[in-house]
Amino acid sequence: MGISILFNLWTMADQVDLYIELVLDGTSGRPLYDWLSNRQSLHLAEDLYLPAVPLIMRILVVDNGGQWTHREWRVLRDLGVESEIIANTTPLENIKADGLVLSGGSPRVGLDQEKMGKCGDYIDKAGVPILGICAGHQFMATHLGGKAGPSKIPEFGKMMVTIDSEDDLFKGLPETLVAWESHNDEVLEMPPDFVSLAHSDNCKIQAMKHTSKPLYGLQFHPEVEHTDNGYEMFQAFIDICEAYKKA
Amino acid sequence: MFNADKFIEEETARLEREVKGKAIIGASGGVDSTVCAAIVGKALGERLLAVYVDTGFMRKGETANVDKMLRRLGVNHIVVDASDEYFTALKGVIEPETKRKIIGEKFIRVFEREAKKFGAEYLVQGTIAPDWIESGGGIRDTIKSHHNVGGLPKDLNLILVEPLRDLYKDEVRKVARALKIEVAEKQPFPGPALAIRIMGEPTRESVEIVREACAIAEEEIEKAAAAGKMKLPWQYFAVLLPVRSVGVQGDIRAYGYTIAVRAVDSVDAMTANYSKIPHDVLEQISIRITNKMKDKVNRVVYDVTNKPPSTIEWE
Repeated sequence: MGISILFNLWTMADQVDLYIELVLDGTSGRPLYDWLSNRQSLHLAEDLYLPAVPLIMRILVVDNGGQWTHREWRVLRDLGVESEIIANTTPLENIKADGLVLSGGSPRVGLDQEKMGKCGDYIDKAGVPILGICAGHQFMATHLGGKAGPSKIPEFGKMMVTIDSEDDLFKGLPETLVAWESHNDEVLEMPPDFVSLAHSDNCKIQAMKHTSKPLYGLQFHPEVEHTDNGYEMFQAFIDICEAYKKA
Repeated sequence: MFNADKFIEEETARLEREVKGKAIIGASGGVDSTVCAAIVGKALGERLLAVYVDTGFMRKGETANVDKMLRRLGVNHIVVDASDEYFTALKGVIEPETKRKIIGEKFIRVFEREAKKFGAEYLVQGTIAPDWIESGGGIRDTIKSHHNVGGLPKDLNLILVEPLRDLYKDEVRKVARALKIEVAEKQPFPGPALAIRIMGEPTRESVEIVREACAIAEEEIEKAAAAGKMKLPWQYFAVLLPVRSVGVQGDIRAYGYTIAVRAVDSVDAMTANYSKIPHDVLEQISIRITNKMKDKVNRVVYDVTNKPPSTIEWE
């Protein structure tokens, strides 16, 4: 019978906890398999253990001038994601990220579209999951061929939002929840290939997603403390980014 | 999640590295500036001077209390009475943004004077995230100019140091608890103080009314919370409205001003909902205010608006 001894090796990155089993011969005490001297086996072990290591996700917040842009950064950071707030004029080639959040902001998307900077570029070419919030959501709609404009009944503060389709973003969340709002405009018509995921009494499209691309929009603000389950929604978006990165 | 100990360690090291000469800090006695004074004090020791400015708009007993608290904190400090300057500068000023900007600039002028005397080249401020967010700039709209951001003059000749810039109040409180700072749980109080709780011209007379009303509202709410009748709100105070209405006192017609009581629950001041205070507590506040100041106030109302659409303070 062999005796197993576990060696715990730390890689250079200090992140990969690599266990190597050294099996000794019960009588002679000599190694039956010397994993350390066998490069082939070592690589095999790495292959086996690496997937268990969490990926460090990098999700950036594109600042469209919102009051709660910095809150989005804070929630991502609280959830262990590497994050930065970047100006919406940042050239796409300078952006290295696994996901983007397009923040809300004072720009009225229907009236001063140019204040949304290069958000259009990001939506078209970034090739990573994007979550548009408030103005970011409205811009996503207009940019992709939908329509946004003044709300018949603007919403400020506490509203009830009904989730119509859980999808990935609202997985496991209650059907109705308290969401904090602050908008004069809203998405009036979704772009082609988008589906609505949630609504409120005054606003038909509180959440939308593309049917095949990882593009999401939210009219309400999951980043503020007063919105129920906001952290869960951000975690869901992080999971979406992670799954997309692995795929 | 936010790690207060790590934050303190990193910031202290950064300050030791970057701040070479002497510094002054604007210290109001609130959570933000006190935490900031403690951290910067750790790094700079005797090279830091905390300056508390009595603007004339402080709450009841505040100046004396803060003086004692800063002494216990063990940071070098002075108290500057600049109330005459403030009342003069705000004469006839009603517009909230103008008020805030005048107050912000006055703070800086006082700090510049004290910095010169002390030989400081750095100005430390306890600015936190909502202060610069709401003050606007670039594509961000100005909601209100916070005194420590929107009031900064272009010709400021001190180097600005703001270690808490990326934190919200709940995170500052975590740091305060880690540092065992006694004001960790103190309710927020705006830099422009009672001047922005007077909807109208801040005069010595109007500030006296709102000071008394604030003291009564604070006392009654704290008493009710201590008795387990309600949860202590995040922030609670009174505002003086210029609206006058008719009343009757001792069979005589009265025509006095209105006090609005405000109490909100929040975590970070970026969103807030009004506190559901029991009616008997509100009634007690109303009775005490209207009796104590019967010549001035004969009506008390309670503010039932969330943020958004309103903000926590009225101006």
